[in-house]
Amino acid sequence: MEEGRRIRSVLLAAGIALAVILVSAGVPGSVGAQQAVTLNLYISGDTNVFDLFQKGFIPAFTKRYPRYKVNFVGLLHGNGSDGVYDKILAAKRAGRTTDVDLWEAEPGYVDQGIPEGLWVKLSPHLLPNIAKVPKDVLEAVDYFGVPYRGSSVVIGYNSKFVKTAPSTFDDLVAWIKANPGKFTYCDPNTGGSGQAFVTAAIYRFTGSQKFASKVYDPKEESAWEPGWKLLRDLQPAMYNNGFHPNGNVAVLQLLAQENIYMASVWSDQGLDFYNRGQLPKTMKFTQITPALIGDDARVMLPAGGAHLEGAMTFLNWLLTPEAQTMVIEMIAGYPGIEWKYMPAALREQFKDVAKGFSPYPSPKYLADIKRLWHEKVVVGQ
Amino acid sequence: MLPPLLVLVFLIVLPAITAIVETLSPVAGAGTGLTLVRYAQVLGARIVRSDIIFSVEVALISVASVFCLSYPLALYLRFAQGRLPSLFAVLFTIPLFVPVVIASFAMITFLVNHGLISTVLYRLGIERFPPLVYNATGIVLTQVWANIPFAVLILGAGLQAIDDALIDGARDVGAGPLRTFVSIILPLNVVPTMIALTLLFISIFGSFTIPYLVGGNAPQMLGVTMTNYLTQYFRRAEAVTMAVIAFIIAAAVGAIYVASVSRRERYSL
Repeated sequence: MEEGRRIRSVLLAAGIALAVILVSAGVPGSVGAQQAVTLNLYISGDTNVFDLFQKGFIPAFTKRYPRYKVNFVGLLHGNGSDGVYDKILAAKRAGRTTDVDLWEAEPGYVDQGIPEGLWVKLSPHLLPNIAKVPKDVLEAVDYFGVPYRGSSVVIGYNSKFVKTAPSTFDDLVAWIKANPGKFTYCDPNTGGSGQAFVTAAIYRFTGSQKFASKVYDPKEESAWEPGWKLLRDLQPAMYNNGFHPNGNVAVLQLLAQENIYMASVWSDQGLDFYNRGQLPKTMKFTQITPALIGDDARVMLPAGGAHLEGAMTFLNWLLTPEAQTMVIEMIAGYPGIEWKYMPAALREQFKDVAKGFSPYPSPKYLADIKRLWHEKVVVGQ
Repeated sequence: MLPPLLVLVFLIVLPAITAIVETLSPVAGAGTGLTLVRYAQVLGARIVRSDIIFSVEVALISVASVFCLSYPLALYLRFAQGRLPSLFAVLFTIPLFVPVVIASFAMITFLVNHGLISTVLYRLGIERFPPLVYNATGIVLTQVWANIPFAVLILGAGLQAIDDALIDGARDVGAGPLRTFVSIILPLNVVPTMIALTLLFISIFGSFTIPYLVGGNAPQMLGVTMTNYLTQYFRRAEAVTMAVIAFIIAAAVGAIYVASVSRRERYSL
């Protein structure tokens, strides 16, 4: 019994070695003869992201690369991410391979894993298509993980009541003042869509670069005063004399009940609600100039993955226009690669929202923005 | 006796002492010794002061409302006879078994614009009324809903302990229901009443879920403010300082509770 198992594992090892040699040698004729490799994808996100993988990416990828099979593991809203992280860490410490070939997770796990050496540091040498990803985005993640799609906050408006959509932040402010009670944004402590409107008011006077960088100096925050004044002046024109609901979804519900006609909302979340019939048919989405903030979803490549070769093939394919088109069409996301690589028809169709997005303030500045918003805007000190 | 004592020391007393010492230690680079600088900073912010006052006000109003509604119910359950009171005795405990998160969301859908209450008021021809949710009104209404069973149970237990003979005796010498209540029942039930009031105050004052979900943007109750300082603003020291301030307020009220309990023990000896 013991003997049999040993022989089997030797054969298996030999088989894997052979497969690796054949793959790296790139012998086209032998592809069909190889054993299928199953890649395990652990994806954290909402159901729209699951659909993107299960109905979009995975069928298209396996059709193009028939020697791979993909096993999809969905972690709804990041439930179970702790366990996945522990699993990868445990495998690394025990010097074993992990069955997690690719993992999309919240940024916190990425940062936690970098000092542990859990992720492969990527480069154009490993992934040729990474050259199409904007450099600053890759530098922001130190090349650990592929920012394969983005989402940003946009302006959602009900075209039944709003005839001309605002195209700049100043247009938006003018509309809010002219239509009191018909706009709001969520409490910035409770959702990114609220943070987007607040940072837009601040960036309006300071620009975004200084506060998105990693250098933190509280003295710089005096530059936010004109932004606070602007927001404070807008309070009486907000829904219910200055009420900001808790969470991104609560704002969408106000739009759904036509209590308000315009709001800052996440592009993908708003479109998802719209597609499920939970928003009025007349809802439209547009991006203003300068664009509101957004961020990127990252897929990491665990260094101890059992199928590194296959995982890299998948990642490289993820950055092709073919896959990126699905990001746009299926979840209204932003492509991870630069727009100039996308098909011309798509560029034209999404020109209203496809303006990229402004960077998030760094975590420390964001924390101060949230605190000062309460002090200076709501209480009005 | 030892295990509970250890739990008390390691999970309550020690962390509390460390927290208090932390709030009294000087800000980095500002010398040694104990200082009240952090308290001055926290209490110097108008937003924090208004949150503290708001928390006390909401807790007081909620306690008063709960008390006014629970006492008659407790009296009814104690003295009424028949099937209906026993049915009520079961019904009023229902909120005890509903998690506050669910109760809060239920109250929101119930009280919000276009909710049931607004619709009824509109139908009755009342078109202008103050918003019922996302403000102090919403918090008080939800707290009342959630805390009535607890208050009725404690008040009811006190009422059960009153001897029927005393009440019958009062009636025999010609006391009406009001006189019986004021001269016999109320004085005999003082200790359970004080216990109910203080415990209600402390639990409402320190609540988080209901004010977080049903409250407005500002002012907020201390539970929400502390959580924001800790998790959103990354300002742990301020959050801990506020916790100590909240503890001092609750401890002052708790002193009434301790006095009531020890008084009861003296009586029972």
